[in-house]
Formats: sequence, C-alpha cells, structure tokens
Amino acid sequence: MTDATYKLKNLTGRKLQVFLAAADCIIPPDPGSPGGGTMETAAVVDWALNRLDPEMRALFLKFMVALDFIGVFFGGRTFKNNSMAARERQLRWTESCPLRPFRMGFFGLKSYVCMGYYTREATWPEFGYGGPHVPERAYPDTVIRGLEQGALEVAE
Amino acid sequence: MNKDYDLVIVGSGAGGGTLASRLIPLAQAGAKIAILESGPHYTRDYFTQRELEMMELLWRGGAWPTKDGAITMAAGRGVGGSTMLYTGVTFRLPDDVCGEWGVPGLTAEDLRPRFERIEEEIHVIEPGPEMVNDNNRLFKEGCEKLGYQVETIRLNVKGCQQNGFCNIGCISGGKQGTLEVQIPASVQAGIDLIPNCHVARVGERSLEVTVGKTPPGTHDGPWTPGDYAVRAKRIVLSAGAPGTPALLLRSGYGERLPALGKYFTLHPALTVYGVYPEDIKNYRGYPKTYYSPQFSEQDHYYLETAFYYPFVSTKHLGLWGRELKELMKCYNRFMTQIILNHDEALESNYIGLDAKGNPEINYTISAESVESLCRAQAQSARIFFAAGCDTVIMPCADRPVFKRGEVADADLERFISSKNYLANKTPVAAAHPQGGCRMGTDPATSVTDGRGKVHGTDWLYVSDASLFPKSSHVNPYLTIMALADRVAEELVGTSSSWA
Repeated sequence: MTDATYKLKNLTGRKLQVFLAAADCIIPPDPGSPGGGTMETAAVVDWALNRLDPEMRALFLKFMVALDFIGVFFGGRTFKNNSMAARERQLRWTESCPLRPFRMGFFGLKSYVCMGYYTREATWPEFGYGGPHVPERAYPDTVIRGLEQGALEVAE
Repeated sequence: MNKDYDLVIVGSGAGGGTLASRLIPLAQAGAKIAILESGPHYTRDYFTQRELEMMELLWRGGAWPTKDGAITMAAGRGVGGSTMLYTGVTFRLPDDVCGEWGVPGLTAEDLRPRFERIEEEIHVIEPGPEMVNDNNRLFKEGCEKLGYQVETIRLNVKGCQQNGFCNIGCISGGKQGTLEVQIPASVQAGIDLIPNCHVARVGERSLEVTVGKTPPGTHDGPWTPGDYAVRAKRIVLSAGAPGTPALLLRSGYGERLPALGKYFTLHPALTVYGVYPEDIKNYRGYPKTYYSPQFSEQDHYYLETAFYYPFVSTKHLGLWGRELKELMKCYNRFMTQIILNHDEALESNYIGLDAKGNPEINYTISAESVESLCRAQAQSARIFFAAGCDTVIMPCADRPVFKRGEVADADLERFISSKNYLANKTPVAAAHPQGGCRMGTDPATSVTDGRGKVHGTDWLYVSDASLFPKSSHVNPYLTIMALADRVAEELVGTSSSWA
C-alpha cells in the first residue's frame, strides 16, 4: 500500500459487501457508466462515516448487517448473496417499511450512496455537470479531494 | 482562565452580527465587547464550491435531522452563521404577520425604518434582467402563462459575479451577509471575534466556554485553545433557533420559563424538479430571482426558484434505481422550485436536549402542512409544464415521475396527495429554524420581552430567530436583523448603567 492509497476503516468485510450490493441497486450500472457499487463510492462514504457522530455511525453499520440477514426473507439468502431482483424487492420494502427505523436506515443508505457517487469527478461527464468555477482551489483535507478526483487507490 | 467584558454576544449570524455592528459606537467609546462564535472563521478564499467539502459549513455536516428523522435541517456553522450559506433572499416581515405575532411595541411602523436602514447597509437590490438565469426566466414565464402572481426577489448583493454556488459559500464576497459586512466592521472597531468557541452554560452574568483548535485553512482568534470563564455585564444570545433555547435549557432556565424551547417552526420545504427540453444549467448565474406568493394566504406556502448541487438534488428527488440514474442524466435540464410552507407554531414542537446536552429538534410535521405541501406540488407541476418542461418529479404523486399529458390538469390534486406522504421517505427539508425563545409579556407563555430581554433578568438578552413567536412566513434573515436592531437600541439606550 502506498501513500496514494485510502484504506477503508468502517466499510469492511460483510458491511462492505452489503454496501456494494445495495449501491448497485440504488445507482445501477449501465453500458455508459458504472453503478454505485464500486470501491471508489465506498471510499467516499467511508470518509464521511469517519466524521459522523460515533453513535450514528454505529447505528448505520448495524443497519448494514441487519439488511444482510433480512435478505433471507426476500430471496432465501443473505442480501449480498441474493439476486439483484430480490435485493431490489427488499430495498423497496425497506424504503416504505411500517417500522420507522428501517425507513430511516434506507434513507441514510441511499443518501450515502448518492453522495459517494455524484460527488466524484469521474461521474460528472455522465450527467454533464460543469462543476466548480474554481476547480483547482486547494482544500485542507487532501484525502477527500483525492477521493473526489480519483487520485487515490482504495483498499480494504 | 478568566475574561472580563462589558458585553458578550454568543453567535455571529444575522442576529449576532447585526447586533455587534450596532454596538460599534460603544466599542469606539471604550466598551469591551466580544463575539463568541462556535464555528470556525472561514473566509471567501476557503470556499471550494464542492458540495461534499463545503458540508462542513453546516451544523452536523448538513444533515441535522429532527428527532423523528423526518426532516433534515440546514443551518450555518461559522462566522456569519447561516448568512454564510443563504442566497441573499430579502423579505421584510409581512405587516399582517407582524400583527399576528402580537408583541407589544413590535409593529409594522416600528420595523419599517429599521428595514430601510439595514437594506441600505447590506446593499439590498432589485435584481435586473442581467441576473435572471434560465431557471428563473422560465419560472416567471410559467407563472405568467397561468395567471399566477410572480414577484422579483430582492437580494443583498454587491458586485455579484453570479457564480451560482451561494449556498456553499460566496467566493467573490458579493453576497453581503454578516461575514462580509457587519463582522469585519465590528472587528475593525475593536470588537473581539472569538471563533471555535463553544459556550457550555450561562451563569449569573457569566459564560462557561471552551475554545477549540483552529481548523486548517481558517482564521485564528485572539484566545488560545482552552477553557474560559467569561464575565460580562450584559450577555446576548444569538446562537440561532435551536442553539439559543438549547443553551438556556442547559443553563437551567427551563424551570422558570415553561415556554422555553417551545413553539418551534421551520418552514417545512420540498424541492421539486421539472425537466426542460434543453440545457438550462441552473448552476450558472444567480440562483434565485423570482417567487410566487399566489398561494400564501389560502394554502400557506410560497413558491420560490431554487438551485441545488447534484448530490443534494438526488436527496430531493426521492428516487433511486434506474429512474434516478436516468433522470440525473438530465441534470443540466432541471428546472427547480422550492415550496416553503408557513407552519403553525405549536407548543408540541420544541427544542430539547439530547443525553449529551446538545440541541434536539422535536418537530412533527402537521397534517395541515403535509396537505399544503401536496397542494403546492400540484401547482408547481402546472408551472413546470406551463414553462415548457416535458417531465416533472413530485414526491407525493401516485407515480413520482410523470410526463406532460399523462395526468389531466384537473386531476393533479387527486394524483398528488397526502396519502403518498410517508415520513422518512418523502424528502422534506428545512433551513429556517424559528422560535423557542418567543417574545411576549407573560413569562408563562413567552421567554423574552419585546426587546429580547429574558424574563426575570436585567442582563440577559436574545437576538436571533428564536425570538419569533410564530413563523415569519418569509425567508427570515432581514427580520432577524431588524429584531437585533431593536435589541441593540435597548442596550445602547441603557448603556450608561453597564458600559
């Protein structure tokens, strides 16, 4: 691992696999662009989780694990091992679930996936976003700038 | 460490910044005055126009949820407070709303000269045609085709370069918030500005504070990091609608002021989108120049033009999957409106404290507000279609994405209805926290008098949006500044006894 590598701290192991699987449902790949389920998206989210209140972060990560187990009811296997159709079915249920914590968890997950995807410069050509007027202006946190610009490798 | 002042202001936004500037003559005459700001001192050269990086300009990274998680609130954290992040949208408090507030001495006649003076100081202008971008032009055309009232939004800008990213910091300094106008003038006059300064508690003419380290890239204050006991003859709390009531609650004022924290309002808002056939690139040019008050009186909402960045837009759209990805490919064709509901001030909506003593927003959106937001979506859809959009996205529609002709105009109110609202799914947001230290005469139902003085004290004042007894209906910054002017008038008038 070099200095130009970002090592995931929160989204690791099972949680990373669940995140990647969910992110590909929330922002699916198409012939012109990748989906949300990439290490690059995960890294931005991981960076944001580092800055989150520790209790909220723990809740979010627990939600990822719960999402995985509940997959059994939608496709016979855990979320990350289910088919894409079963995962989508589960996420639709979660989004409108009568239990508020599930809806909150999905809202958070969806927001994080979109954050991790649409704030990276590599995705901007896909939707024609011109970005800032001052693209070269430095930012004290060089890690997030590196992740936004795709300048860092990502490792688990 | 101890610090002694004549007067200390907690907060540097519209309330605190304006108050400080009004006290400049006292500072020049030798009074010791300080502004304690919880956030860092960013300046315009810090702003990068990248939405993820600039989330740090907001409390809780831009995602401050109500306790039930149903509404996400945005509030600025740094020198300038939310004026660092607003769009400069300038409304005077409507006369009828001022009447509804029913605060003795606070009348439209009292406020008018204050508004006039402040507007001159902060360069409020009526934007000319050169500031109207495509989104705004189309909104106006859509409203006019439908016969809806449409008005120009006045803005407080000077030499605006129309960079388009007002909500994440103005890189030119054209936006004339307290960061650019009142705070520099106050500091130049000898008022101390202490950034990164968290106030834990208010004591008897004193504050317990902790100064944190200066974040990289931001400006230092005159105090080194550490804990301080700050003594002052007068203390003014301008920490914002969640911040000020929370600070008073932490300080034990809840028992003798039962209204403290209560009657909180926030203008629940939905941002809605239409897809225009051609590129309109809403992130170039000035984002907000028109609004429609057509439905304010009957249905309790304003429609304003708006602009948001890609990630934040995905939150507003409320979609995911292929539908979201395909729509986002039309990002440069998005027309955008924001619906601002005038919510009712209810005792049951209140600022409390969480287990760590931090502000907690206990707010449940009312059925009336949900109905209002739904009726507003139908009208927004009409405006989008009248402006030429071929697709609209309405979170409370039976099918959130629908095209021109798919739903008959007369059926829009049935198609977009409150049965589709679901808390924690429907993307309601807010940026106008108000109330919690409402003005009034009775300590049983209010927290301060009409000049912001906390009942039962002669040294503690409030000067921010928490003073509002009810919603302002309009974007609140100018009203906050006018109330600060009233508080300052009282402080200056009595200064011989304390300064």
